Amino acid sequence: MARSVWKGPFIDGYLLKKAEKSRESKRNEIIKIWSRRSTILPQFVGLTFGVYNGHKFLPVLVTEHMVGHKFGEFAPTRVFHGHTAGDKKATRSE
Amino acid sequence: MTQDRRILVGVVAGAHGVKGELKIKSFTANPRAVASYGPLGDRTGMRSFRLKLRGAVRGLLIARIDGVEDRDQAEALKGLELYVARDVLPKPKRGEWYLADLVGLAAITTDGTPIGRVKAMHNFGAGDIVEIERADAPALMLPFSKRIVPEVDVAAGRIVVDPPAEVEVKAEDAAAELAGPDQPGAAA
Repeated sequence: MARSVWKGPFIDGYLLKKAEKSRESKRNEIIKIWSRRSTILPQFVGLTFGVYNGHKFLPVLVTEHMVGHKFGEFAPTRVFHGHTAGDKKATRSE
Repeated sequence: MTQDRRILVGVVAGAHGVKGELKIKSFTANPRAVASYGPLGDRTGMRSFRLKLRGAVRGLLIARIDGVEDRDQAEALKGLELYVARDVLPKPKRGEWYLADLVGLAAITTDGTPIGRVKAMHNFGAGDIVEIERADAPALMLPFSKRIVPEVDVAAGRIVVDPPAEVEVKAEDAAAELAGPDQPGAAA
């Protein structure tokens, strides 16, 4: 069952405070977090979080398409080591 | 650097039927593209194969190779790795790089200090991530963005990295801060 709308999105409160500080400082930094359960809010767009996957912190550069998802969705805890596509390309984000 | 390299694009998974058709496991971004790069070679580059796709079944492609006419010949090719020369791949667009070109590049900081080598590229849905292997420290995972990787020079064999600062947000520190000085459990 989906979460009731009247409650609003769940987020660990301290993340909001930290994100606000980071946005004001305009420094190039990765905010390391353990809170995989928190929802990505619009005010996080443009910030980079290091989301813990139980092993290491995976960088998550938040874009507007991620709003509404949870941080944990972008840091898988189990990695499939299949064969990488030989002609696959990487694109540098802004 | 990239001209004499060969890239693995598929492997023969087995025979299909009795007319010499083969099951091919493709390692290209678009599976059907395996047949679009012209003749493929084996590991040594001595033999050449031209694939003709016939269809797909259970995630594998069905293809024919000239000169393979029956099941015995097809089964003899099981496990054959199919390679393509790196220079056959189309030139990537501006701002794009083949993962095969990026892996192995030296990583240096903006002031020229070496950090390590690019071990792998990942994408878990939040943009590309570059993993840099360091000799004396754990691997470094960084977003593949213009801000953090301002320069990629495949010809020179290096990427320039501007490693960002890292700040930790621990739940217990934040809870103590939020609780205030007169609350139990607050930091003294």
